Formats: sequence, C-alpha cells, structure tokens
Amino acid sequence: MTLPKTLTDAAAALRDGTVTSVELTQAAIDTADRLDATIGTYLARFDSYALERAAKADEELARGEDRGPLHGIPFGVKDILAMAEGPTTAQSLILDPAWGEGKDAPVVARLKAAGAVITGKATTMEFACGMPDAEKPFPIPRNPWNPDTWPGGSSSGTGSGVAAGMFLAGLGTDTAGSIRIPAAFCGVSGLMPTFGRVPKSGCVPLGYTLDHIGPLARSARDCAAVLEVIAGPHRSDPDCVDAPFSAPELTGDLTGLRIGVVREHHFPDDRDPALDSTFDAAVAVLTEQGATVVEVTLPYWQEMITVDMITMGSEALAYHRGDLGNRWGDYFLATRAMLATGAQVSGADYVQAQRVRRVAQDAIGRLFETVDVIACPTTSVGAPSYDSLTGPDGQPDIGALFSMIHTPYWDTVGNPVLVVPMGFTADGLPLSLQLAGPAFGEAKILRAGDAFQQGTDWHLRVPETVVEGAAA
Amino acid sequence: MKDIVKILLSEAKLPASDAEIEAYTAAYAAQRASVDALYEVPEARYVDPALRFRATARLDDWAS
Repeated sequence: MTLPKTLTDAAAALRDGTVTSVELTQAAIDTADRLDATIGTYLARFDSYALERAAKADEELARGEDRGPLHGIPFGVKDILAMAEGPTTAQSLILDPAWGEGKDAPVVARLKAAGAVITGKATTMEFACGMPDAEKPFPIPRNPWNPDTWPGGSSSGTGSGVAAGMFLAGLGTDTAGSIRIPAAFCGVSGLMPTFGRVPKSGCVPLGYTLDHIGPLARSARDCAAVLEVIAGPHRSDPDCVDAPFSAPELTGDLTGLRIGVVREHHFPDDRDPALDSTFDAAVAVLTEQGATVVEVTLPYWQEMITVDMITMGSEALAYHRGDLGNRWGDYFLATRAMLATGAQVSGADYVQAQRVRRVAQDAIGRLFETVDVIACPTTSVGAPSYDSLTGPDGQPDIGALFSMIHTPYWDTVGNPVLVVPMGFTADGLPLSLQLAGPAFGEAKILRAGDAFQQGTDWHLRVPETVVEGAAA
Repeated sequence: MKDIVKILLSEAKLPASDAEIEAYTAAYAAQRASVDALYEVPEARYVDPALRFRATARLDDWAS
C-alpha cells in the first residue's frame, strides 16, 4: 500500500476509507524504527500511546465524529513544548525535569483536541538555539538527505521527521529561523506565524519577544490546516491577540497578487551555484500562476540582524544567568556562545534595539502597502556538513553560518513567513523559498505557497534513504 | 578588547574558558560596532520602543 505523503492527502484518505489512522501511525513507527538511530529525530517516542490514539481516531471517524483534518494524523512535537505524556528536556541537562510535568502547552492541548496522534518529542538544538554538541548525552540530529549534513535547527527533529516520514506534520519554534532553517535544509514546508497569532505559553522561552510556534509539514496546505488548530488567543499569553485563522480558498490562481522579490543580501559571493537559477525559476512559477513581480529591498536589514542578536541574547541571558554561573559546562558550547552575547550589551542597547525595531516594523508595514507577498531565498546554500560548523579554533562558527541564512530579520518585525522547497543544489540538497506577508497576512503567503506547489513537486520529493528503506 | 570581554563576562558571572573568551573577543569588535550603529538611526530619535507595560497584568498559569 502506498501511503499519502501529505497531511491533507492523508486526511482525505482517512475519510474515503483507503487508509486508517492505525496504518498511518504504524507506518510512521516502522520508519522511526528504521531511521531514527541514524538521523536522530526523536528524544522520546510514544509508540503505544500513539497507536491507542490512532485506534480511537479510527473509531471516532467511523461513527462520524470528525474533529477536522488533523484527526488521526501522526504528528511530532519539538521537545521544548510541554506535553503530559513525557518530560520536556529542551535537549538540555539544565532544564528542571519538573518543568511542565504532566501538563500540555496550550498548542499541544489544541492538537490533542483536534485528534492529532502525537508520536513523540522531537530533537532540538539546546534551548532552541546553537548547534549540536557531541559531548552531551543527546542524539545528534542528522539530515535525511545526507546524514553527514546538519538538518538545520533548532527544530531539527521536526524537520527531519517530516522529511523522513516519521510523522506527517510537527510543531517547531522560531526565534531567529528555527522553523524555517530545518524546513529549508530538510526539503519540507514550514510556517512561522505572525507574532501573537499562536500562544507561546508552555514553551520553554528563548526570546520572549521573538519566539513563534508554528508547523513544519510537506505542503503549504498542510501548514494551513495546522495553523487553523493552534491559532487563537489564550489567557496565559498576553502577546497573543484575538485572531483565529481560517485557511483561504487555495485555487492556484495568483491573479492580482503583487510579489516583491528581494535579491539584496541574499546572494553572497559564496552562495551555492544553483541558487540563482533555482530562485529565478521559482519566481517564474509564481508569475505563471498570475502574480505580478517587482524588485524590492528590505528596510533596515543589517539593523534587524543586530536587533535579533541583542534581543535574543539579552532575553535569553536573563532566563539562564543563574544556571550559567553554576553549571556553565553543562550547557552546549554553542548555547554558551549565544548566551554570552547578552552579557556584551547594555540595558540601553536593548531598549535602543526595540526602538529601531519599531521603526523597521513601520517601514516593512509601508512596504506591504505596495506588495502582498515578499519572496527571497531562505538560505544561500544547502545543508552544511557537520565538519563545516566548527571554526579552526574548535569553537562554533555561528557568524559564518548565519551569513548564509536569511531568517532572523523576520523574527524581529514579527511578520509571518512560509518557506517551501524550490529545488536542489548540485549535491542533491534542498534549496528553499521564503514567502513573507503582512502582519496577520498568513492567508496571502499560504495562497502563494500553495499555488507554487500546484505548479511544482519539490515538496513531494523524498530522500533516497527513505525510498530505499521503504523498498527493502 | 579581550580585557573588555573578560570584564563583561566576569560581571555577568559567566565562567567562560580562555578558548571561549578568545572566540568571543574575535567577534566582539564587529558586534559592538553593529550595536553602536543602532544609535545612528535618525528615524528612531523620538520613537517609543517596542515594549509595553500592562498595569492589569497578572501571572496566569498556562496549564491550569
């Protein structure tokens, strides 16, 4: 039996009786049995729980109790979100195991209420930042497209799990790119919703004013289905506004949609040779679907990169300083480097960053009065090899890495961004397209992303490791 | 520059190793320049920061 690749196809198959939730879930478990030891997707698996939930979903659907498109769908949750079935570790030795014990984050509670079959907690970079550390007792996340490469982070396991077929969708978090980077490197879709669209309580914080929770899945359409479930206000998160989300009609027709194309800063000299032609081809698809395209530049680009660094460093250091002083060596090497930036800026620097951030928000808002969607590459290269993540001094080379990653800008201004696969490097690693929209304009970017995916099949490509294993 | 970084880390009680201090120092000058550049954005001269205090706010357990 050939199983559906996307959440929305699986949801349709569950309802026309060609597949059951138990079959989908067992297939996901079988894939995890085969691949997880290699690619490090899970920190905790809930196989028995998932099969029970799947059986219940089949029973409910059979008697007409339909909870919507996530009902009966195998689903992964990044292990920085609380879930009653297991401890939250944030992939760290530091976090108190009692944090969130026995509780569900509001987004997890919403997934459960929608009938999602949560198969386990997925790997992350420690506290949703930094890079892997082989010295620590946690799995090293690897990319299903080439296990010698990084799957991206920090929502590493959610990205690799969707790409490998261990679940059909999952939740990640994004403070400087942590949904979009693994989605890009693993060749799947990912959606960072508008700041304030989704409640972030029950998530171990990294940057209080930057953190976003959102889905990774195969398609834009899948991401829309997840956002419908997790969006909406919650009393515990004062940043979350009363803005529930309903997926727009996804026709594939982009007539009337104005797309601003950004090239500045996104095409450095050492970019992948395939980036230019791949991006141009992606823009051409959007044009063929009816969109009009103009070239634009992003205001306060460099300033917002700095603002993300100051804001994340300061907010995270406030959370971690007590533990850092006592347990420095228990933190990952790259986590320490990121947190230390918070000690190198002042309180005035932090406030000034928030003033410039407001200026940039206003400027990007004015830009979105002239275009509906902004398109640019997510990264300038495919997934980097693990060997390249460390500098010659043995320290993590975060600066070099982020010269090729173009995500933090959007965390600072708070706009929603959808990333979709747009092709491959010559080495067979995925490349990715970012589609940003106005604040609370997820409908526009999902409409554009879905139209792109109606005209291409990059989002349906599966790594050879998965195909070979399935055929064995 | 290294002395500045050492003092900043020490004041924050962060016991970084010598190798880490070397690495942080290598990045510090460019990082400091980018931070200082934020004070040169003329449009921000009379702008309120993206910070808001709510007098009615209460601590609310997300899982209760």
